[in-house]
Amino acid sequence: MTGEDPGPLIRLFGLTGGRARPQGEAFDLVAIVTTTGDVEPADLIPEHRAVLSLCRRPTPVADVAAHLKLPLNITRVILGDLRREGLISIERPRPVAQTIDERIYREVLDGLRSL
Amino acid sequence: MDFAASEPGATAVASALAIKILIAGGFGVGKTTMVGTISEIRPLHTEELLSERGVGVDDTSGVEAKITTTVALDFGRITFREGLWLYLFGTPGQDRFWFMWDELALGALGAVVLADTRRLEDSFPAVDYFEQRGIPFVVGVNCFEGARRYDPTKVRRALGLNESIPVVLCDVRERDSVKNVLTTLVTHAVEGA
Repeated sequence: MTGEDPGPLIRLFGLTGGRARPQGEAFDLVAIVTTTGDVEPADLIPEHRAVLSLCRRPTPVADVAAHLKLPLNITRVILGDLRREGLISIERPRPVAQTIDERIYREVLDGLRSL
Repeated sequence: MDFAASEPGATAVASALAIKILIAGGFGVGKTTMVGTISEIRPLHTEELLSERGVGVDDTSGVEAKITTTVALDFGRITFREGLWLYLFGTPGQDRFWFMWDELALGALGAVVLADTRRLEDSFPAVDYFEQRGIPFVVGVNCFEGARRYDPTKVRRALGLNESIPVVLCDVRERDSVKNVLTTLVTHAVEGA
């Protein structure tokens, strides 16, 4: 490890307080995140502000990570914190069978074929 | 599977849905290439920080054991419309990251197990994993240049696969070929269940 730049790792630690797991109920990498309410606290860090702005349109966790350019685990800690503050909602895990109806199934198949 | 009841009047926002498919298989079998061939975005490669679980955790401080390792994770995306996405996650190749597979596999529609006929045994762990958990999967035999073209029936026998598991020959560099593998999986996962 000696000689490596520790900068990025330290920055990530700063964002999460060293935590590698989000607080509260577990959520999936593709769970839908939605910003709740219109009021944004004034003292938010840039990453939190970016999430709230992005998730005004419902957005999967993986996409939030892509936008923030942060690892998924770190992103999930950030999302867990925002959920605890009541600023976002994160879809609860659902069995796959309950999420795909015939219309969605057709849409996915047609969508794949027309790529 | 029985389809979930459609809810008339549900808005697009309320029904926002991201479907997850895993791409598994041995090291160097073409997982990352497959994601890259079909993804509309440049596949995102993240180095995930992992903490050693259960060792030296100090609950009162709220800080977990120190982060000890990283694992590379690739994922790509296909958008069908606003509110309907398909995500492809390449699973980490190393066995010591099985616990990460558990997290990835939760809620997945299904998986593609990529196989290389020159090293079929590399596919055994992934096949076992999805069979044991009842996660629908198909086997994609990646036809590398110079690799012997195998009869899918022989591959099925060599992998000890049930007749119901689709085995398709593919070239993960070819878009149409990847589309074929994915439509086979989606059909198998939805209609075969």
